[in-house]
Parts: sequence; structure tokens; C-alpha cells
Amino acid sequence: MPERMIVTIGTRKGLFVADAPKSRGKFTLRGPFGSGVAVYATLIDTRGTPRIYGSSCNAFFGMKLLYSTDLGKSFKETKSAPAFPKDDGRALANIWSLEAGAGKKDLLCGVEPASVFRSEDGGDSWEMVPGISNHEHSRKWEPGAGGLCLHTILRYGNRLHIGISTGGHYLSEDGGKTFKASNTGVGAGFAPDPYPEFGQCVHKIVGHKDAPGRLYMQNHGGWANWDGPGGPRPGIGVLRSDDHGHTWRSIANGLPSDFGFPIAVHPHDADTVYVLPLEPQTRTCPGATPAVWRSENGGESWKRLARGLPKKESFFTVQRDAMDIDELKSPALYFGTTTGQLWIGRDGGEDWKCLFDSLPPIHNVKVAVV
Amino acid sequence: MSAAPLVQIHVPSMLRDACGGQSRLPLEASTVRAALASIEDRFPALYRSVCHETGAVRRHVNLFVNMDHIRDLQGIDTPLRVGDVIAILPAVSGG
Repeated sequence: MPERMIVTIGTRKGLFVADAPKSRGKFTLRGPFGSGVAVYATLIDTRGTPRIYGSSCNAFFGMKLLYSTDLGKSFKETKSAPAFPKDDGRALANIWSLEAGAGKKDLLCGVEPASVFRSEDGGDSWEMVPGISNHEHSRKWEPGAGGLCLHTILRYGNRLHIGISTGGHYLSEDGGKTFKASNTGVGAGFAPDPYPEFGQCVHKIVGHKDAPGRLYMQNHGGWANWDGPGGPRPGIGVLRSDDHGHTWRSIANGLPSDFGFPIAVHPHDADTVYVLPLEPQTRTCPGATPAVWRSENGGESWKRLARGLPKKESFFTVQRDAMDIDELKSPALYFGTTTGQLWIGRDGGEDWKCLFDSLPPIHNVKVAVV
Repeated sequence: MSAAPLVQIHVPSMLRDACGGQSRLPLEASTVRAALASIEDRFPALYRSVCHETGAVRRHVNLFVNMDHIRDLQGIDTPLRVGDVIAILPAVSGG
């Protein structure tokens, strides 16, 4: 079967799957699956026979995990979904991230309240990962407007990076047995201490498979003009690490705002990184004119990419998991908006086009060649 | 009977319209609760932004006394000393 470009679109009203020839010609939309139920996490698992996973978290009737073995033509429920032990006292409120684990059928799942679950059988059974879920800091992490979500799981060999809003960045270097808060240089804007040990409102972390020491973080920025205790915190929103996340430094200089949610890295160049700046108060695009900003030198300078995007009157938000990049030689970016538009930016974001313009509000976009 | 200590409330920019544009409100209060009662009296719109109608601090508002969250002290019954600064901060997240 020829390769296809698969895009999963998690929305407030269910999961959609768009696919196209690898050339990214005409995209065809299927769905919604899990109709009416919000989908915050999807995974296109390309190990072995491809599987697509999607969370389906019903605020009334609980959590489900859906999977497809036919590239998104149909979905079934896994035999179980992550759940806290009965005597834990916590109840699962949402699934925020799904990632491939170390073994062929291993999955990792980040949830709200911030915890990680592991499956060794493709999602049919789940076990809580205590090193992070029961971390000594865990009862001090605070939910914000989006809930206490564990939204980022990055795995590079024995290293696991975890992003929690609001908890910060946690690092395991023993395969996920133990975790340490690793937030040196990561600022917090909503506490008097600008650089606490933990408790930062990390929005998203990305890395690069060929440069595992290099990481980029979209943190909660917008505190350059804070005049209260602790003083202003310019540039804390967009950060880079070159030492596996042990320390971080700002790369926000040159951006119109250091606030935003998603961040993406070029599949073939660890120095090329993309952000989508938003106004910190409204969480919409600066000047109501959306643009993706690209750096090709690891954040030293930035270029605005907006050809084809609306030039005025755009008041959407792009959420933390609603932007992704495919792995073709000249990759395309994809982002989904809270106003239900799915955009594609071919040639590394140089040329934008709206693929679908009337979907439900979009929480999650993932793309893979299958 | 001694007077309550003189403290200050730091008001974030997004709430300053509710208190005449002031960033710092000096007031006399011996506890955080008393300070909140004082702003309820003087700046009811600001108070409503910080506390809901039951008197509890809103879920997405954090109050700090100097560097410490009142949750880690004695809540709204945290005692105040001369020169203390109560900072109102939004608890932020989302996306």
C-alpha cells in the first residue's frame, strides 16, 4: 500500500482523521469518532502495524481510550483506560498525552491530575508510574485554568522528560523509576519567586531524535512587565536546553510575545524551531493577525511566517498540542484552532492554506507518514 | 489596644481599574482576612474579583504574603506584620 499522510485531529466534539497521498494532495476527512466527547490526546503509532490512538474523556461518564488498526476508518475501545488505584484518592479527569514507550507495545499516558500510566499491551491494561505520579512534590502542584495536566512525555533512551502545568519540567535518567524537578532557568510568573524549584506553568516541551541533549520549551510567558514582588521576568516564555534539560535559557528575543502554547522542531534540523506567539491576556494572535515564527539558528533570531494566513480579525487560540510537523524532506506544519480551522504550512511554514474550516474547537493535531 | 499593623496589597495590572488604578493599597490589618474585609469595604469591585460571594478566595486566584502562598501559612487567617505585602496573583494555565 502506498504511503499516506495521516493527520489526527482531536476536537471538543470527537476525533477526526484526515488522510492524503504522501504528496499532501487532497485531504479526506473521516469522523467524528467518539462523537460529542472531547479528545485532548492522540498518537499515530508507526511501530509495526500502524495504530492510531485517541483519548475520549467524557466529563459525565468517564475515560476511554480508542484505537484504530485501519488508519482511522474505524475505532474500538481498548479493554481498559488508565485509572488510579482505588485507595489513591485521586480520580482521573482527562487524558493529555499519549506516547510510544520502550517496548514494541508499550504506551505512556499523561493524565489530569498530573500522573503517568504505562501499558505494555497496546492500551488494554495500565499501571501507574509511581516515580512521577507519587512524586514528593505532586501534592503541591497546582491546577490552573486548564486543570492539573501532565501534557508532555518525551523519551530518549533511559531519559524521560515530563511537562506539567503547573508543576514544571521533571527529568528521569533511570528509565522512569525516579524523577527530579529540573527547572534551572525556567521562570514562573505567578509567584513572587521568579525561579522556584518547581511549580512552573510549562506549556509544551519538544526535542529532536538526533540531538537528544537539545530541548525547546514553550513556558508561560507574558511577565515582562510584572511590577509586583519578585520583579519583571522578561523572556521566560520560550526556552532552550543543551544539556538534556538540566538547565534552560531564554531564546525569546525577537518574538512579538513570549506567550504561546505549542512549539515544534524541524524533523531534520535540531536548530530549526517553530512557535506560535499569542497575547498573554487574550491568548489570541498579536494584532489579530496569526503567524508562526521560525528560528533556523536555535532561537538566536526569528522570522515571521504568515503567507496565506488571515491578515486581520482572527481571534483564535492554538492550544498546546494543536501544532505538529510532518517528516518529509521539506516538511509541512499543521495547526488547529479553537475556531475549528485546520491549517497546513507547506515548505516549512512558508505557504499556508486552510484544509478544513468548520471543525469543532481543536485540541490536538498529530501527523505521520504511514 | 494597639493598632493593626500597616501592610500593603499589591494589585496586578488587570485588576487596577477596580481600585482607581493603584498598584499598591496601604491598609491596616492584622490578618489576611481583615485585609480582605478592608478592600471589600473600600473597593468592592476589587474584592469581588478576588473572593466569591461565600467569602472564599476564588479558585484561580492565589494570595501570597511576601514570598509565601497563604495556603502554606494559615490561609486567610494568616497573621500580618508591619510592612508585609499581600500579592494578588492569577493562577494560570490552560491550552
